[in-house]
Amino acid sequence: LCLLMPTYKLTYLHLRGRAEIARDLFHLAGVPYEDIRYRLDEVPTISESLPFGQVPMLEVDGKKLPQSHAINRYLANEFGFAGNSAIERAWIDAVADQHRDHEIEIWPPFLIHLGLEPGDRDSQMKEKIEPARDKYFTILENIAKENGSNGHFVGDSLTWVDLLISEHVYTFTQYFPGFLDAFPTVLDTVAKIQATPKLKEWMEKRPVEKF
Amino acid sequence: SKSEMPSYKLNYFDARGYAEVSRQLFVLSDTPYEDNRIPRDQWPELKKTMPFGNIPVLEVDGKQLPQSLAIARYLAKQFGFYGKTAFESAWVDAIADQFKDCLTEIRPFLFVAKSDGNEAEKERMKKEVALPAIEKHFGLLEKAAKNNGANGHFVGESLTFVDLLVSDFVGTFEAFLPGFSAPYPAVTSIRAKTIATPKIKEWIAKRNVTPT
Repeated sequence: LCLLMPTYKLTYLHLRGRAEIARDLFHLAGVPYEDIRYRLDEVPTISESLPFGQVPMLEVDGKKLPQSHAINRYLANEFGFAGNSAIERAWIDAVADQHRDHEIEIWPPFLIHLGLEPGDRDSQMKEKIEPARDKYFTILENIAKENGSNGHFVGDSLTWVDLLISEHVYTFTQYFPGFLDAFPTVLDTVAKIQATPKLKEWMEKRPVEKF
Repeated sequence: SKSEMPSYKLNYFDARGYAEVSRQLFVLSDTPYEDNRIPRDQWPELKKTMPFGNIPVLEVDGKQLPQSLAIARYLAKQFGFYGKTAFESAWVDAIADQFKDCLTEIRPFLFVAKSDGNEAEKERMKKEVALPAIEKHFGLLEKAAKNNGANGHFVGESLTFVDLLVSDFVGTFEAFLPGFSAPYPAVTSIRAKTIATPKIKEWIAKRNVTPT
């Protein structure tokens, strides 16, 4: 069986960030992979070898694939975490893209608030972070309810968009306890996702990273 | 059979933008659909009825699906424009997401460029916003096109939805940034081949002419 499985290599930074969903999927599927982590200052030295000059990058038997959602979707399809119908897969994609739009809004002020990027630290929470949170998590709260409050955001089995949202909630509630208390169905859904045995095991033993 | 085919309704503005790739997928597959173009003054009310408060939204037998690339991928998979293997499909997705980053960066320029007046602001946005975005992203697109053998497709040997997506926007960018594509011959030949596809050529000739 091992001879038939492709060899997988995942290249990213010393962060969970945009690679953690792929790592979660490997662990959930019980599939071995090489988990390569670079320091940010090392990335320019490998940039020529990256198809889009960016990480994460997945290699499957040496064939390269960039872009985190393309990687996540590919692995989810291979390992069975991609939904159970064409329309479910499309809804997973839609929520994942909405999530990406949300990340584009919330990450810059989050980094400024942490003092990791230049800017006015004091104004970020009220002016940028909380409004971005409320706009997106109101949508997610509805999605979780309309999906039947069944422990998943789409369909009735674990999918990569569950992992995407779970990791995001993990990071933000770690930095800001109580941050999502106004969204109880989301929190309940994430708690159920994080209770999945192989995921729970990985979350407990994985390297501790800033985010 | 026709009676088993779902009914499709695509909701967007009277514009090409993020909906055009899906319109072209319907056209290429000869699939009937309602091309619902929402007048701008109706949008504030209709916005509340859209799942994420944005469009395009596809309705499949009345069930809504938001987000332009989720819609395009769903239709492309149905109609056979999503690559021939799982890895090819993943590359279609990767290039589409990279291109979406380009659109996000260049959008403020397009917004200004298609409005009347303020030539100084248009020129400033062109230098500070548009040209840097083009240089960053089209360099990567050209590399991807060349790595695929400069064969008139971004991925594999046949048309995929990312060929449609990029080709239409190249047309838009040419109108506002004449000659911008000169350094990107492989991308330019993808557009040339895509728009020469008979059903696409026919559609382009008869569709509403809009600036974006």
